[in-house]
Amino acid sequence: MTQDPFVSVRGVSKTYRGERSTVGALRGVSFDIRKGEFVRISGPSGSGKTTLLNLIAGLDGPDQGDIVVAGTNIGRLSMTQASKYRAREVGVIFQSYNLIPQLTALENVLLPMIALGRANSDRARELLDVVGLADRSDHNPSQLSGGEQQRVAVARALANDPALVLADEPTGNLDDQSAESVMVMLTDAVRERGKTLLLVTHERDRVKAIDRSLELRSGVLSSYQIELPQEGVS
Amino acid sequence: MIWVKLTFGGMGRRFVEAIAAIMILAATSATVAASLMVVEGARNALNRAIRQDRPDIIHVKSRFNRALFETPRSGNLPPLTIPVYEPLIDPADLEHAAGNNRVIRRQSLFRNVVSGDSFLNIYVFGIDPDLEREVSSFVLARGRFLRKDDRAVAVLDQASARALGVDIGGAFPIRKADGGDLELTVIGILDKLELRGAPPRSAEAPSLNPEATDVSSGAFVDIQTSEDIFGRPTLTDALVVARSMSAVPSLVAKLQEAFRLEPGVFVTERYSQYERKVRDFVLTLAVFTALSVATVLLAGTFAANLLHDIYVDRRRQYATLMALGCSPAMSIAPAVVFGLVLGAAGSAIGAFVAVLFVPRSFAIPSLMADLGTTQPALDLMVAGSIVAIGIVAVIVGLAPTGLRLLRQALATSLSEGRS
Ligand SMILES: Nc1ncnc2c1ncn2[C@@H]1O[C@H](COP(=O)(O)OP(=O)(O)OP(=O)(O)O)[C@@H](O)[C@H]1O
Ligand SMILES: [Mg+2]
Repeated sequence: MTQDPFVSVRGVSKTYRGERSTVGALRGVSFDIRKGEFVRISGPSGSGKTTLLNLIAGLDGPDQGDIVVAGTNIGRLSMTQASKYRAREVGVIFQSYNLIPQLTALENVLLPMIALGRANSDRARELLDVVGLADRSDHNPSQLSGGEQQRVAVARALANDPALVLADEPTGNLDDQSAESVMVMLTDAVRERGKTLLLVTHERDRVKAIDRSLELRSGVLSSYQIELPQEGVS
Repeated sequence: MIWVKLTFGGMGRRFVEAIAAIMILAATSATVAASLMVVEGARNALNRAIRQDRPDIIHVKSRFNRALFETPRSGNLPPLTIPVYEPLIDPADLEHAAGNNRVIRRQSLFRNVVSGDSFLNIYVFGIDPDLEREVSSFVLARGRFLRKDDRAVAVLDQASARALGVDIGGAFPIRKADGGDLELTVIGILDKLELRGAPPRSAEAPSLNPEATDVSSGAFVDIQTSEDIFGRPTLTDALVVARSMSAVPSLVAKLQEAFRLEPGVFVTERYSQYERKVRDFVLTLAVFTALSVATVLLAGTFAANLLHDIYVDRRRQYATLMALGCSPAMSIAPAVVFGLVLGAAGSAIGAFVAVLFVPRSFAIPSLMADLGTTQPALDLMVAGSIVAIGIVAVIVGLAPTGLRLLRQALATSLSEGRS
């Protein structure tokens, strides 16, 4: 394909320097993702998956290499620019939800909109409806189950209609059943809206409709392959 | 609503610490405010002393001679010349000793004025009109004040004018030393009068202030006119205004030296007393500043520490806001507002307590003997100081969290403190 990549990672390295040891979390990683693709990132613990997502989200800067998302070089952004980039282009879903505990579900979904200065309660309500929590919008995170909290986080990630959704083990803290429903909601919502998804997960079979699989080992990209359509997927 | 919750909500057990921080800040502010109020009171007392006592003015005066004092027993006796002070000061000697410091000459006389078959005593002051107005205060009710070239005219206070039965344009006779009478035309009536270094009151005379022990009324004439009445140029007293406060001691020494051989002339100054007041003030300032600084260092640090704990707890919230796309300023704003509200509450409570409990008048005999009783005062300086303490405590409490948030990678802040 000749289409310009939507996310372009070029020779990215990231090293964490501790007091005693230095860890090469990512070493010369390069790959491209086209718009609308679903990419699954897998690899053993400590292989650099979270680090990679953080770099693409602009939550951390690479030591070497370039990350270009929609024509913007993420590593070169100032703090304020990076915040703006996240507000406009990226929806992030964390393993540990990171909901603000004193805000209601609705208010949590509103936060990214507030960051852009265009809070819209109706839209936030719609998104909560999409993740099946329309009737829980006034509940605080502590009144919601883990699965429900993560669904709020999914709604929040979609608040500003970002082109790119990054999810780091979104079901890692959930039991099988909740994990299933969260994953379905996440992939359905993202697919419906034609967004690009980068998903870190260990669960191979639960995730349907993956276009590409990306595997990291000790910070090195060990395989990047087109996923064959799985049986049972329409 | 969201911002209120982001700023104040979700404190959990840190709520107690926030209250404790407010109370400690309040106690700190109260102590500091009270200390500074005492210092300000002392400073005011000192400034008042400078304004009122005028330590830069040296009074040179002749012996006050009661022996010459005598009242006529009946209305038809010739009036007697009765000096208040003896006229012993040679103006040329005085000018010479004073050097380039300003000399304000005076002649004060006491005269009996006979009007009809009654008489009354009246003080007559010969003054340098322009110079005298700089050290004494004359408030005119009507007419005008004396000018340098005025001759045979007088400005009277209301009490004397009433007693003499004269008004502006009227005249009254004053017996001169050579036995003749000088008619003085009234050109101004004084409402209020404060003569610096006024002579002690020694006889019945009209008085603006009946309680005063010093003369508080009289007829003011140009010193040339009083020389005509007196028949001599020597002065009864004079004020020497030092060019600077520090010049006073040497000037006093010079004046004393000049009149060493004239036992009837005395040089009095208020500078030594003022110096003792300054010493008191410096001591007060030192003691209460030390108290304030110690309080701020101990309690302020404690409050800042509590704030720090609260902020550390909320670091992840601020990081989450940034991760969701809020600008750094927007994400830190709840922290700053929270701190400012806490600081403001502490300062306000402290100031209130201080104002409520600090006594209206305050004295420490062993520390402020010469300064005497002072009035502690809450002024802009005090208010500014306690506001500054609140702000500094908040900044110190917030700085580590803020700096980490702005300096380290957001990813790190987000993963910290995960339960
Ligand atoms: N802030 C940090 N400081 C130091 N080392 C770090 C930091 N973050 C990550 N690392 C190290 O970098 C390497 C990659 O970490 P990363 O979190 O990206 O792994 P991961 O693939 O997400 O693992 P997991 O599946 O356990 O989440 C690990 O060895 C980790 O210890
Ligand atoms: Mg991880």
